[in-house]
Amino acid sequence: MPAQPLQRVCYVEDDEDIRKIVRMSLERIGKFTVEVVGDPMVAIEAMKAFKPELVMLDWMMPGMDGPTLYRKMREVPEVRDLPVVFITAKASEKELNELRSLGAAGTISKPFSPKDLPEQLREIWQRIPGPAG
Amino acid sequence: MNSPSAAPDALASAPAAAARATQGEQRSDPQRVLADRVEQLYSQMPLGIVFTLIIGAIATYELYDTRTRELVLFWWGLVLLITAARTALWLGYRKSTDRIGEARQWLRWLAISALANGANWGFAGAVFFPSHTDEQQVFLAFLLAGIASAGIPTYAASWPMFALYAAAVVLPFAYVLANFGNRLFVEIAVLVPLFYLANVGIAYRLNQVFHSGYRLRHAYGRLTEDYTTLNQRLERQLVELDEARRQVEASGRKLALFAERAPIAVLELDAQGHIQQINHAAENLFGWPSNEVATRKPSVKILIRPEYHAEFDKQWAELMQSRAPVAHLRVRNPRRDGLEVVCEWNVTPLVNSEGEVVGVIAQGQDITRQMEADKLKKEFTSTLSHELRTPLTSIIGSLQLINSGVLGELDKDIADLTGVAERNGQRLLDLINDILDVEKIESGNLAMVPEVLSLDELVSESLVLNRGFAERFKVRFEVGGALLPVKVHADRKRLLQVMTNLLSNAAKFSPQGEAVQVVMQDQRDRVRIAILDRGPGIPESFRGRIFGRFAQADSSVTRQKGGTGLGLAICKRLIELMDGHIGFSNREHGGTEFYFDLPKHATT
Repeated sequence: MPAQPLQRVCYVEDDEDIRKIVRMSLERIGKFTVEVVGDPMVAIEAMKAFKPELVMLDWMMPGMDGPTLYRKMREVPEVRDLPVVFITAKASEKELNELRSLGAAGTISKPFSPKDLPEQLREIWQRIPGPAG
Repeated sequence: MNSPSAAPDALASAPAAAARATQGEQRSDPQRVLADRVEQLYSQMPLGIVFTLIIGAIATYELYDTRTRELVLFWWGLVLLITAARTALWLGYRKSTDRIGEARQWLRWLAISALANGANWGFAGAVFFPSHTDEQQVFLAFLLAGIASAGIPTYAASWPMFALYAAAVVLPFAYVLANFGNRLFVEIAVLVPLFYLANVGIAYRLNQVFHSGYRLRHAYGRLTEDYTTLNQRLERQLVELDEARRQVEASGRKLALFAERAPIAVLELDAQGHIQQINHAAENLFGWPSNEVATRKPSVKILIRPEYHAEFDKQWAELMQSRAPVAHLRVRNPRRDGLEVVCEWNVTPLVNSEGEVVGVIAQGQDITRQMEADKLKKEFTSTLSHELRTPLTSIIGSLQLINSGVLGELDKDIADLTGVAERNGQRLLDLINDILDVEKIESGNLAMVPEVLSLDELVSESLVLNRGFAERFKVRFEVGGALLPVKVHADRKRLLQVMTNLLSNAAKFSPQGEAVQVVMQDQRDRVRIAILDRGPGIPESFRGRIFGRFAQADSSVTRQKGGTGLGLAICKRLIELMDGHIGFSNREHGGTEFYFDLPKHATT
């Protein structure tokens, strides 16, 4: 369990409406500091600038889907160790298992309830193993 | 046609007759011939007995006054005794049930009786011949000659028997003659054995004639029997053949009618793949007139795109090799006008009894439209699952945020309306999810991800997850008794879905303030989860279709409390996919118990 409670969250999602709702939920209910990104192509740059503690990736996005973006993140030193949570509507159990084995911190299924979303994120945050030692 | 002995046999009891018939079949032929001879010998006995009595009586009368009376009476006594014995023997033979099997024994007894009879006459000749009157000597000589010669027809069926009998009659007499001291008598005594031998010779010849006669009769009888059986069998086969021919004709007509009127295309091909005949449906489907096909007999390749001809030749060769029917073969077939249809073919080689392919029947069903429909259905399902759910997520999410109050307190009327909007949005989403589940289940695309899990922990989790339903319908979820630490092999997500369905149903139908109980029961190799409510129960008329699709006892409930009517249908299918069983029963004092059983995971 990380020493600090969760503060900064970055969310990559192509649907503008969902972005709006999630931002509102995380800020108003969760009291997090939130950065939302609409274009996955610039997401990694945005993360470098924002320095989130946790990243949420939408599974299906035009241009680059969540898993691909995740694999790209693993190649960039600044963001490679960030815990990642996938938001997914129809991933098969097999694909999810594959992602978990790659090191994804968790998954939240879509449609989710904005009321419960902050709580779900905090639970995942608490399950993340703390820094060694 | 059988041996004569079979006629009285027929009067015997049926099983015995059957047993004898079997025995008869198994008997060798000589045995039957012997039996026939014995039968012949015994058939002469009554006459012999009667004559013996008459001649014996005359002889007794003639000798009574001139010979020692006691001796004559003794002899007469012997005649009566032997006659009685022969009569008894004859009766015994008549009553015998196995004359064929015991023929040799009966022959032996007859020989003994013949010997006794002959010896008695021989005794008379020897004892009474030395007499005072020549007339009586003539009488006796005449008597013995007659008695001896009468033996020829009587015992002709067995010459050794005659030889025995006649020897017993004449040899003592010849002995007496030879020792009488009279030259004439000595001469006669020499002649007697000669006559005897001549008679035995005649008997032997007669016996041969009898024997071959019987053999002939048997051979003829067997022939006739065989002929009759053969005739009957032929007749039967003719009738069967005729019936078979009629059936073949009828089914041929039926088949032709089936093929002609069938809604699927039927092609008859020869072993080289040339079309011999096509039916009406094929004519319509491919645009080739049947009479043109019947005269031209084109290759079936006219229904295959040229670029696939090489592939077709290979598959055709395989078919000729395997001679096994091929089913569900999907082929894109060009029509005569150049358009294409997709057909599903069943191809059946016709193989004759020598194993040669004499033809091939191909039945094709036009599935062009079905494939289009399948494609449309897939597209629709995909639209439902993504394009409909995405906007719904935004709508419901927005309403939830508004209703949560984090954006500020709402006017009561507005809050009521946004509440209505959120609830109905949720209902729409539930319906879409349920329809997708049903679609997945029916198309076989629902993949189970079974894992070994603790059922008690899963039950606790489901109670936490579904707290919302309890709060909304103002009921309590309670655990009845203890949760058992049981492991099952099941899909976690899908099992939670089942629990949610059953718990939400129970909450929905319970009166406010009541408790919904969850009970775990150990059932040896299975474990049962039961969810008990105090609701109104399941109406009798609804029980049969409760697990059917869109099944709701009272559709007004849907409007009040939500639900799609698909939940229990999905639960049933899910539980069955996990090798379980789902059911329900009415509770005492009102309410319903829904339960499902799952096999326990065998821990090793």
